[in-house]
Amino acid sequence: MNLPLKAYWELLAAHIRPQRARFGLLAGLLLVSIALQVFNPQIISGFIDAALEGAALSRLVGAALLFLGIAVLQQSLSVGVVYLSERVAWSATNALRAELARHCLNLDMGFHNAHTPGELIERIDGDVAELANFFSQFVVILAGNLLLLAGILAALFLVDWRVGLAFSLFGALSLLVLQRVRDIALPQQKALRQAEADLYGFVEEQLAGTEDIRSSGAVDFSLRELYRLQRAILIHDRHARRRGWFIELAMGSLLAVGNILAISSGYLLFTTGAITVGTVYLFVHYANLLETPIWTLIREVKSFQTIGACVERLTELRAIQPDVVDGTEVLPLSGSPALAFEGVSFGYDGADPVLRDLSFTLQPSGVLGLLGRTGSGKSSLVRLVFRLYDPIQGRILLDGRDIRSAKLASLHRRVAMVTQEVQLFQGTVRDNLTFFDRNIPDEQIQAAIARLGLADWFAALPSGLDTHLEGGGRSLSAGEAQILALTRVFLRDPGLVILDEASARLDPATEQRLERAIDRLLEGRTAIIIAHRLGTVQRASEVMILENGGVREYGRRAELAADPASRFSQLLQTGGSESTGGSETRPHEEVLS
Amino acid sequence: MTGARASKADPSTPASASALPAWRVILSMLLFRPWYWFVDLLAVSLLRLAWHVGPGLILQAFFNLLSGEAQAGLTIWTILAALGALLVARVVGEYGFVYADVPLFADVSTLLRKNLLKHILRRPGAAPLPDSPGEAVSRFRDDVMEIPLFVILINDILIGILIIAVSILLLLRISVPITLVALAPVVLVGLIANAATRRIEHYRRASRQAAGQVTGFIGELFGAVQAVKVATAEGSVIAHFNRLNDERSQLTVREKLFDAVLESIWRNTGSLGTGMVLVLSGQAMRSGTFSVGDLALFVYLLQSMSDLTTFGGMLAARYRQLNVSVERMTRLMAGGPPGALVEHSPVDLEGPLPAVGYPQITPADRLETLSVQGLSYRYPGTTNGIEDIELHLQRGTLTVVTGRIGSGKTTLLRVLLGLLPKDRGEVRWNGDLVADAGRFFIPPRAAYTAQAPRLFSSTLRDNILLGLQKDEAALRQALSLAVMEGDIAGMEDGLETLVGPRGVRLSGGQAQRTAAARMLVRQAELLVFDDLSSALDVETEALLWERLLAQGDATYLVISHRRPVLRRAGQIIVLKGGKVEATGRLEELLESSEEMRQLWTITNGP
Repeated sequence: MNLPLKAYWELLAAHIRPQRARFGLLAGLLLVSIALQVFNPQIISGFIDAALEGAALSRLVGAALLFLGIAVLQQSLSVGVVYLSERVAWSATNALRAELARHCLNLDMGFHNAHTPGELIERIDGDVAELANFFSQFVVILAGNLLLLAGILAALFLVDWRVGLAFSLFGALSLLVLQRVRDIALPQQKALRQAEADLYGFVEEQLAGTEDIRSSGAVDFSLRELYRLQRAILIHDRHARRRGWFIELAMGSLLAVGNILAISSGYLLFTTGAITVGTVYLFVHYANLLETPIWTLIREVKSFQTIGACVERLTELRAIQPDVVDGTEVLPLSGSPALAFEGVSFGYDGADPVLRDLSFTLQPSGVLGLLGRTGSGKSSLVRLVFRLYDPIQGRILLDGRDIRSAKLASLHRRVAMVTQEVQLFQGTVRDNLTFFDRNIPDEQIQAAIARLGLADWFAALPSGLDTHLEGGGRSLSAGEAQILALTRVFLRDPGLVILDEASARLDPATEQRLERAIDRLLEGRTAIIIAHRLGTVQRASEVMILENGGVREYGRRAELAADPASRFSQLLQTGGSESTGGSETRPHEEVLS
Repeated sequence: MTGARASKADPSTPASASALPAWRVILSMLLFRPWYWFVDLLAVSLLRLAWHVGPGLILQAFFNLLSGEAQAGLTIWTILAALGALLVARVVGEYGFVYADVPLFADVSTLLRKNLLKHILRRPGAAPLPDSPGEAVSRFRDDVMEIPLFVILINDILIGILIIAVSILLLLRISVPITLVALAPVVLVGLIANAATRRIEHYRRASRQAAGQVTGFIGELFGAVQAVKVATAEGSVIAHFNRLNDERSQLTVREKLFDAVLESIWRNTGSLGTGMVLVLSGQAMRSGTFSVGDLALFVYLLQSMSDLTTFGGMLAARYRQLNVSVERMTRLMAGGPPGALVEHSPVDLEGPLPAVGYPQITPADRLETLSVQGLSYRYPGTTNGIEDIELHLQRGTLTVVTGRIGSGKTTLLRVLLGLLPKDRGEVRWNGDLVADAGRFFIPPRAAYTAQAPRLFSSTLRDNILLGLQKDEAALRQALSLAVMEGDIAGMEDGLETLVGPRGVRLSGGQAQRTAAARMLVRQAELLVFDDLSSALDVETEALLWERLLAQGDATYLVISHRRPVLRRAGQIIVLKGGKVEATGRLEELLESSEEMRQLWTITNGP
């Protein structure tokens, strides 16, 4: 734990402040409930003395009813405490989850390439869930149990200072002993966890490789490996449990010591006539009650270590800043812009440049067809237009303005991209078109669909816009996913469209629909098309062939096609299956496999 | 999708219909290790008596001593000695757990895992698991562990019932009316609690599902982070994230609140009973028929009984979940008989590890001819597969299967080797019909390397041998055949190099050649491999073939589209659309088959 306590306090304060009233009520309830725990045994103690003195029956029944009332009140309080602390914790942690998710979304692609979604789930949800207890109860429980401990000891001091002192010493001894023995099984438990992790790793590998095991005739070997790993678990479990037994031993002994202390001091004081039977009962009750705060304190202090680790990870995550710095200018909203690259070079993480000194200009409403093998830099080029990354050298201009000076949100409103891999969410078609924006009316969606000429496809969906899609788009073909992606873009009405053409084999009907929709989409817009088939390039006014990050050939499409010496016209001759590169994701899937 | 539907096993799968009821699984596992179960029973009785009854009796005696109502001969020293005895009983009982529970958990969980693994490995290998391997691991972990836990929880139930009975008897002996009144809340609450467990399950499921939605969405969100960024949709996706979070917090708070209310009612029964006792006992204490000691005993035993009923209520809820666990495990063993999960057999956790048995080759296993006729397979629910395949091969020959993507090459090998269940057709080994291809085509008869072979996180040596007993020379020879000796020489730890999870520390080509060595060291009669070239450079592959074919006597059935291999093939089988398009030597096929000519033109290579 290297973080100063102030960091914890700030985190706590920031998330508690919006619900101060609820938190105050929670603290109040907990304190009352502790006071009742200390007070309740006093009633039984008084009852016993009164009964033995032969007090009036009405007094006894009154005390009994008071006991009942307090018991019920105490239970209601505990329900109230659970409810309030859950509410406080969830409000605070959900705010934190949203804050972290937004923060991560704003980080650039460099961050996202280095961190898997699984890891982010752990950081945004897992770590934050660990903090729930910290937000709602930690401080209150810590303070509450210290108070309970103090309350019990104070009550005992009030009866007899010697008993109070003896129990204080006993409490200190208990804290000391339990603190000592608490972790004695920790190394064995860690070894056990590791042995278990090894076993589950083994099982996962075996299940993924059943074909290899079977065809190697190694089923018996697999089972023997299972035994071997289970043995390790058995050994560590045995060690851990034996050590754990010592903890039980310590706890049991302490409890016995406490009881012996209560019984013998009660007996001594009673026989000298200093106290009543009821007070002896009180001693015994308190001796057993002391255990609770002692254990709770030790447990909470221990949980602080987990909390510390989480807060540290959280602070780390929040400290990461995007490399892509937001600009200030707002770009005009309408019209199709001109796009220019001026001497642009780029490489990922300072590695070998993917793009070298690239320059070109695309006029408003111009369409650039981009060709090149896998790895020639096509995708990197279009990512730069979006500022998913920034160039190492050179500038990119939109209508003559460096895109670095524009606000990112404004830039992203002007530029839209349809990627080959369409990323879909589990949800309805509508949610997938609008990215869960509930402010876009259905009419607007319908209108966009109609203008793209896709009305019949959408009409065929089983529940229209409410049709549910599986996560990852498993329920759609690649062509259908592209239809959704085109509609997404059309809804936003951008000035510059970037299209990474679908290279998957499409069925003829879908392909035809897509072609029409693309025609509509590109009307009156500037566009860059990454072409995987030469047919697509027919739309382009200009053609660029990239090779190893540089321009192999660039010019007006008609001129290049007419020039028999050009690479482009050669490609047109041979059908070009080789040079257009094929799918990005499966480079080895050529004609044969 | 409703919560209830989501968590039940799919009723259409035959396996869930044949799942054993949970109590039979528990019983069978109890009988697997009866001695440990019995020791646990003794330990539980000792502990429960020491916790739930003993202190009450000691307190009764002590207060009776104080109020002068104690039996003759009882002194403070007896009381203190009894407290000491309780401590000893607890410590001994706890040690009983260490002695019995540790091996009971180990043996039972190992047996269940062994049965699961054995059945998964023995079923057709390419047939998919019901879910991903990662998901299946959770069944090996969490669902398996529920079973031994319940074997020992039975003891808690038995002893719990016994203790409640003993407590009631002790109390009845003191005062019948007071006991009856004090027990009323316990009985009432027991009934309420039982009725409430269904709700608990319902709320739990709803909140779990809402939690799944949140984590699922985070995963999707950052899997699609580029799409979100380019759509400037940060605001609206965060708004959606907040909606999911709110839903989850509402459902979770509802669940926690319900739990808290129930628990409070449970815990309250002790206090309510105590209050009732106080109300009634005032008169009796004044008249001397109810001592302070009796009161102490009542208070103590009522709390014990309320704790035990709370515990019983939890167990009832948990038993419902146990059936789900058994179903989930049975689904992993699709096709196995219902009792297979709990079948008893040795689990070797003590003593030396068992030797790994590999079948020895017999003269009947020696391959002379392999013939396949009318072999057909169709992937369920599709038109893809292979149809009516005919194929003959002789000892000592190289047969190459070739064709375009999706022509059925890999499917043919898998169906032939029994890694996929054939729909029709027959396979003959030396003219004898092969009944169960999956069990027949294993070393030393046949060995296979898949296109993307899997390695395991262990040493290179272990990955190649997989428990096979071979001398160093045989191992070296296999490595040399697989063109792996240079790589090994370059590794600091040689054959003892750890390859990492799934072999990630090796390059693609090294992993493939390691798998080839794994196949070759088995010296099988028939060697089958699926396109070695995908991760090998041309030179390495050429060298590999040179060495393999210099072997002379070996018989190969391989998928390839590399020109050198096609040239060397004694027989080429051209597949198209799942059927045999043509069969013959390369030069014949280049003459006669248009498909072969096309394949040859687009094929790279010298």
